[in-house]
Amino acid sequence: MSLDQQRINTFSKYNSRLGDLQDELKVRQQDKEYYDDLEMELELADEDDQVLYKQGEAFFHLKPKAALKSLKTDRKAIERDIRSLEKRVEECETGMNDLKVQLKAKFGNQINLDLNPEED
Amino acid sequence: MSGQTAPNSSSKKALGGIAPTGLHADTINKLNARGMPYAPFVTNVDDFVGGQEAGVEGVMKKFEEMTAKYRYMEVNLQQKRKGLEVKIPDISKTLDVVRFLEARRCKRLGTKPTTIPKQPKNDDEPESEADEDDAASEASDDSEDLMDEVDELDAEDAEEGPESDVKSRNPLKTLYELNDTLFAEAEVEEDGNVGLWLGANTMLLYPLNEAVLLLSEKLSVAKRSLRHTKEDLEFLREQITVMEVNFARVHNWDVKRMIEVDMCAFTDEINFDVL
Repeated sequence: MSLDQQRINTFSKYNSRLGDLQDELKVRQQDKEYYDDLEMELELADEDDQVLYKQGEAFFHLKPKAALKSLKTDRKAIERDIRSLEKRVEECETGMNDLKVQLKAKFGNQINLDLNPEED
Repeated sequence: MSGQTAPNSSSKKALGGIAPTGLHADTINKLNARGMPYAPFVTNVDDFVGGQEAGVEGVMKKFEEMTAKYRYMEVNLQQKRKGLEVKIPDISKTLDVVRFLEARRCKRLGTKPTTIPKQPKNDDEPESEADEDDAASEASDDSEDLMDEVDELDAEDAEEGPESDVKSRNPLKTLYELNDTLFAEAEVEEDGNVGLWLGANTMLLYPLNEAVLLLSEKLSVAKRSLRHTKEDLEFLREQITVMEVNFARVHNWDVKRMIEVDMCAFTDEINFDVL
């Protein structure tokens, strides 16, 4: 009895964690797209012009080349974040699928364990 | 594992004085990593309530109280989490700028930028440790990249004429946020110090390397705290579910008992009529 309760709790934990992770992942992927666009723009920019590059909360005047370098390190960090988030999403999903098999075997159609019911 | 009941030990704390019989042994008097108590799981309602004749009102009230306590903690931690989620990007943005300034200055003076000492991580999960090691090693790459960036800046300075005086070099011009979406231009006087806003209406001047160290420590403390807060929130959710299940189990048990009592009365009546 209590073992089933634990399984259900764990499933619910994974489910809410998965929601958080997916939100975070979405934000990061959006950021990465911005970085990709910015990289294109900077590559097209005139070598001798200065661009305003945002570092933290303030803008600094940088040459496109220097801005690109800084961009590259920022992008590396974000790609690392995305990789680790994806890894954790996968962990949640495998955990949930395992529990789903166990719980479905026990409760059949009496239990509703749909992943992401809010997703249309 | 299931169905085990606790021996009638001295563990009275579990339910604020209610006898711990009929509870799952794993859930009595246990605390999580931050000292929050596990919700006791009722395995045997009959034993727990104290037999068919016992009243459930007291138990139900206790359950409601405990659930309310968990909910109170949950609200507090949710606020803490929100606070940290604002604070962390703030710190990391500040750290970015300070590192940028430091890289510029180090290049000028020909010194090495500060390397961040590894934080002692005794209570970290191995997985996140690996992530952070990864981050640390790449961070050193990052600082090298920053150095390159500053190389470029210096190369440009040199084209304009060899000047040894620090002050006559290309000044660092910046646009800073004066107010929401309003930016003003400023020239930064680079004297190797930076003012950090410490809160409580205080700003303190730090040498760049100390600022880097301070900020990176604050950042890792805040990140760890956020991770713990998230864990605790998951824990609290689980305990609230357990308490709700307990409540439902005792309530259903009570309803079933009432029906049985009614049925007995009903059967008696019928028997009476037949006679």
